[in-house]
Amino acid sequence: MTDRIAIRTEGLTKHYGDIHALVDLDLEIRPGEIFGFLGPNGAGKTTMIRTILDEIRPTSGSASILGMDSHEQSVEIRRFIGYVPGDLAMYPNLTGRDTITYFANLRGGVDWSWVDELADRLDADLTRKVGDLSSGNRQKVGLIQAFMNKPEVLIMDEPSSGLDPLVQREFQTMMREAAAEGRTVFLSSHTLSEVQRVAGRVGIIRHGRLIAVESVSDLRSKAIRKVDLYFDEPVEHAIFESVPGVRDVAVENHHVTLSFDGRMETLLKILTDRYHLLDITTQEADLEEIFLTYYRDEDVPA
Amino acid sequence: MTLSNVFTKTTRDRWKGVAIGSLTLSVLFLFGMSVYRDIDLAVYTNLPDAFRSMMNIPKDADVASLAYGAIYGSYGAMTMAGLALAMGAASIAGEERKGTLGLLLGNPRSRTEVLASKTASMVLLTGLGVLLLWAAGIVVPAMLDVSITGMHVGAMIFHLFAMSLFFGFLAMAVGAWTGSPSVASGVAAGVMFISFVAVGLLPLVEGFENAAKAFPWYYFTGSQPVNNGVDWGHIGVLFTSNALLMVVALVGVNRRDIKGQTVGVTLVDRLRGNPMTRKLADRLAGSTRVSRIWIKTASEHQGLLLVTAAVMFLFMGVMLGPMYTLINEALSGLTDQFPEALLALFGGGDMGTPEGWYQIETFGMMAPIAVMVVTVAIGAGALAGEEERRTIGLLLANPVRRSTIVLHKTVAMTLYGVAVGAATFAGVAIGSMLGGLGMDMGNIAATSLLVTLVGLVFGALALGLGAATGRIRVAVFGTVGIALVLYVLNAFLPFNDTLAGYAKWSPFYYYLSSDPLNNGMHWGHGAVLTALTVGLVLSAVVLFERRDLRQSG
Repeated sequence: MTDRIAIRTEGLTKHYGDIHALVDLDLEIRPGEIFGFLGPNGAGKTTMIRTILDEIRPTSGSASILGMDSHEQSVEIRRFIGYVPGDLAMYPNLTGRDTITYFANLRGGVDWSWVDELADRLDADLTRKVGDLSSGNRQKVGLIQAFMNKPEVLIMDEPSSGLDPLVQREFQTMMREAAAEGRTVFLSSHTLSEVQRVAGRVGIIRHGRLIAVESVSDLRSKAIRKVDLYFDEPVEHAIFESVPGVRDVAVENHHVTLSFDGRMETLLKILTDRYHLLDITTQEADLEEIFLTYYRDEDVPA
Repeated sequence: MTLSNVFTKTTRDRWKGVAIGSLTLSVLFLFGMSVYRDIDLAVYTNLPDAFRSMMNIPKDADVASLAYGAIYGSYGAMTMAGLALAMGAASIAGEERKGTLGLLLGNPRSRTEVLASKTASMVLLTGLGVLLLWAAGIVVPAMLDVSITGMHVGAMIFHLFAMSLFFGFLAMAVGAWTGSPSVASGVAAGVMFISFVAVGLLPLVEGFENAAKAFPWYYFTGSQPVNNGVDWGHIGVLFTSNALLMVVALVGVNRRDIKGQTVGVTLVDRLRGNPMTRKLADRLAGSTRVSRIWIKTASEHQGLLLVTAAVMFLFMGVMLGPMYTLINEALSGLTDQFPEALLALFGGGDMGTPEGWYQIETFGMMAPIAVMVVTVAIGAGALAGEEERRTIGLLLANPVRRSTIVLHKTVAMTLYGVAVGAATFAGVAIGSMLGGLGMDMGNIAATSLLVTLVGLVFGALALGLGAATGRIRVAVFGTVGIALVLYVLNAFLPFNDTLAGYAKWSPFYYYLSSDPLNNGMHWGHGAVLTALTVGLVLSAVVLFERRDLRQSG
């Protein structure tokens, strides 16, 4: 199955009356990758997921999962996927184990030792009624049912909501394991730090349009760095203005801080020609800042 | 002290149901009165007293009092009381079950204030509902040129108002103490149902004439306010009870620990908790319950099924047999006196025979209602319920077709309908044996089968409406409204020679028009009802397959 594209959308569009929830979305996700799908609330992440799962039908365009058409072959597709819906709701009067059993029966069985292992790793209590669980503990049941059949493609909509940090870490390990086995993870989130930790590529969606798809490392290399420079004498402010990519310069005698998204080589050359540089520290901006930059800079029509 | 925001929100959430309910009743009233206007009322003058008392038809029956009695006295009163009851049950217990009560009380408002707002909203909406009925009760006769001189429409409406609130407060009080909306509405609906039947029947049983006074319904109809004006004693009884229930609710809601969003405990859950029965119950409640979609669906309405089946079996079945022998005296010899046109209203029942007795008491109205209670509950909740509770997403993440889900839900619905039909059959059969009535078992079975089939038609309609819209309310109110209209059409159209043929457009026609209690199974009619059900389920499949599923409730 690894020769097939895990998820592909072509011109996927969904309108609700005048609201363009999804506009001309083209996306290709390869087997074995963890793909982060980022966007603020209401950007269209859930609409995209519900469309490729055939819960709702596209206005135009098409989607396929593992080479199968998302509408025509939706039942067949669902043999190969695990799904965690956003804002997860389950049957409150069933226990976790009942819930798992129910879905397992619909799939023709499950490896219970694997379920127990997952429950153990996530510290989930399957004996209590789902309705009596806190939202984080309920989420664990949702994760277990998604992972339990070792699906080829995991589609998860804001899956970490309510999970405590320790469990989140275990969940990330589970995603990495799945990817290492050649399975695909589609992770929708607005928690950027989480995506940054696990995803290889991210797609950024806003107002229903995909505005960028990049590898996490590319995004980082483009990213703004925070730079601290220490010199053996006071420096002039003016010198920095000539360097492309420098912003927000603050000079304080020997110490300079600035934001920089140009070529580090250029910056260093100009500075070391004139001054003695004693120390330099640079900090990677996290995805959060990159994200904000994209949103600030991209002029996307609503 | 009343919170304007809780009050206005509650009122806003609920006004539509009340408006639809009272408007439907007004239309039915218009329809009923125009039918009564056009028929020869001479037939009523010969009616025996016992029958009149039971059917709430006053002496000197005229067009107006017949219409008031038929429309406002039974369906109307049940609808208004049911609406108040629903508001009462939802007031505290409903918010508690949904988990929103905690949020509400997170604001600087006391529980007493919240309850007061809910009460004010319930009283206001019930008041507006009955006002609408009152307006219809005045306007319609004027439109139709029917004289209502000497009729106390306002008095009857006032009594109706007081009684409807009784059931609202009862549900509110039970909900305030238990925190369970289903227990609250179940208890209140049970009391309403039993008191309606008891007040109709008890006066006919020698030695029990006064026992009816123990039931709230008596204080609505007992003094015949439409003829005699307001009976302040009776009104006093109702309002005193209402005030007491309100106090009970107040104490309850203030004393109790408020639950978070909680899950009801079913009988099987209790068995599961008991070490003696755990093993068996675990199998029943656990692995078996979730083995198939239809089994799981069937497990979700156990309480409703138990109550409905028990009521049909015991009250509407077993007990009526011996009761017939008790009041046989009062009913004997009626056969000749009954005008044929009137018999049609009750599906051709003849009070002088056990079959007629059971037809009027059990099969005419209560049995279809009972079957529909379960089939419509499952039908409406089947698809729309999974959507509104947002569980459809997970369910459909599994390799099952949407059509499979519809069919599984249909199986569960059918089983429930059959169970209530079977309970009715068993109850009537045993009642007939206990009373020595010698009714034909095959005919009872045929009638029970037909009532099951007619209930399934409306269950399938609810399923279809739910499949098309994803909204439980649309499915329930739509089905109930349509069923009510079709029932009344079938009851009234036969009065009018030119319109009689149109009764065939009502599914209810195919239930009793062949008089199955006397004549046995009418397979053709059974086939029509089955075909209707199948057609509706198929359209539900098509509608559900095509639609974008809703994301939230």
